[in-house]
Formats: sequence, structure tokens, C-alpha cells
Amino acid sequence: MAFTSDLDQITRAAAGDAAAVRAIVNRYSPGVLGIATRMLGDKAEAEDVTQETFIRAWKALPSWEPRAKFSTWLHRVALNLCYDRLRKRREVLPDELPDRADTALGPQDALDQAQRVRAVEDAISALPERQSAALTLCALQGHSQTEAAEIMEISVEALESLLARARRTLRGQLLDGRNAS
Amino acid sequence: MTHTMTDDRLIELIETWGAEAVSWPEAERAAGKTLLLAHPERFASALAQARELDQMLGALPEPEMSRALTEAIVAAAPRPKMSRPNLLRWFGLKTPWAPASGFVAAALGLFMGLTVAPVASAEDDMTAEVQELVVSALGFDTAAYALEELE
Repeated sequence: MAFTSDLDQITRAAAGDAAAVRAIVNRYSPGVLGIATRMLGDKAEAEDVTQETFIRAWKALPSWEPRAKFSTWLHRVALNLCYDRLRKRREVLPDELPDRADTALGPQDALDQAQRVRAVEDAISALPERQSAALTLCALQGHSQTEAAEIMEISVEALESLLARARRTLRGQLLDGRNAS
Repeated sequence: MTHTMTDDRLIELIETWGAEAVSWPEAERAAGKTLLLAHPERFASALAQARELDQMLGALPEPEMSRALTEAIVAAAPRPKMSRPNLLRWFGLKTPWAPASGFVAAALGLFMGLTVAPVASAEDDMTAEVQELVVSALGFDTAAYALEELE
């Protein structure tokens, strides 16, 4: 059972077992980095958040109580660190809007794969942070509705509302605009 | 519990959770699939758009953990608490018996010191200046004291 193996690994990692530490890093770091990358749209910042998330995890390990799945807790920490950074960005640049996805890139034939990926990434980064988080957790990280709601500390209904708005915006920017051109 | 599914709700599910029924909330999945299979034409447009968006999201590359980041995270992890054997190794000692050699060396040194010390002392040449310094520092004559001891 994932929960039990989580606990076993965490206990061993807390005691300084190098193999358990590495197993935890290998298992959970890609997900943390994925969330941070999608939320922040910046590789260096995403790496900083990933490192900070694990530093907090290492500090918390000795007193860890399995009230939730370790990944849920870890992703919540990562998400909150992303929120903090996004708020700081707004404080520093209050009038500067984030880059919007360019919907006037031209016909689909003209878009190569890299441009298309960039347009999707930009569109996600431009979403309001909670919509971006809902989309990242559900559509990109594959969390269940319950897990994603737990990570965001909201109800499943609120999660659905955020996700619906996020996908509607992306549809408008990435599909409708293109179909109209 | 059986959910009643309406066209509007199914379109909401498709638009919110994507084209794949497996992504829909479990409680509504079966009812949604039943309605979809019964009237696919009503949901074709919503499904096509949702599928396209799903593909775009699915095509996003997974960011890769660099080796440097992985190692930095591992380096910050808890360290094992040092047990007794580890402490011995830390000092370059391989077995628990190794400290005994230290005690033997110390005892031998002490024995040699005690046996050799009386031979040298009062008989040593001590210049008058040095003797004067010692007397002023200690307040008594160490050479005289040593001779008294011998007598």
C-alpha cells in the first residue's frame, strides 16, 4: 500500500538512511518541479521552489504524522511557495501584466511544435494563480479531484469551478482564436 | 447512489474534466457514460474541443530534474546519527578493542617517566640565573627541596 511504503520510507529517511532519502527525492521531486514550473513559468524559480520544498520536508520528517499522503503534503508546500513568489512578483511589478498567450500567431500550419507548447505554457502562466493550480494538479499532474482539493485546501466543488474557468480561458485563447483565424 | 445525468451537466463534465470519462468525478462517471453512449451526436462538438485541449496539455514536456538539483536536495537531507562503531571509524579505529592499545601506550609512558625522572633532577646542572628565576617564580628553591626529598 502506497501509504505504508510512504511511512516506512519517511521513517528511514528521517533517521538518515541515504537510500530512503534518494528514493523519496527520485519519487517525488519531478511532481514538485512540475507544479512549480507550470505555476511560475520560470525554470530557475521552479528549481528554487523545489529545493525549498524538500528542505522543509527534511525538517518536518522527524515529526511527520501521516494525516495525509506525503505527496499531498509536499505538493501543498510547493503550491504555497509558488503562491508566495507570485504575490511577491505582483508587489514588485504591480502594473506589469504577465505575458499573455499570443493567439494571433497565425494558422496552425505555421506553428511548429515548440511554438505551440510555448503558447500553452504562456496561457497557463497567465491564468489566475488558483485556476492555474487547479489545472496543473488535475490535468497535468493527474491528481484525483479529492487529492487536488485537499492540496489546495478547498472543496471539490470549488476546485471544479476553478478548473472549469481555467479550461474555458484556455479554450478561448488556444482553440477559439485559432478556429476564428 | 445513482446520479441523474442531464445534457447540460454532461457538457460541463466534458468541458471541465476533459474528454476522457476516466477523468470525470467517479460519482457521475457511469451516468455520464450512459448518456454519452445513448446520444453521442449531442456531445460531439464538446468532446472534440475537449480532446484537442487535452492533447495540447498532454503534449507539454515534463520538466526534468537536473543532477545538480537532485544532489543539492539530497545533500540537505537528514544525516544518520553517529553510532559507537561510526565514532570509532571517525577516529580511524577499526575495532572496539583498538582503544586498549592507547591505554597500554599511556601506561608504558607513565611507567618510563616515573622510573627515569629521579635520575635527573637535583643533580642537573642548573645555572645560578635559572635557579634564581625559579625561586622568584615559585617562592622556594626547587633544588634544595629535591635534595631534602632524597635525603
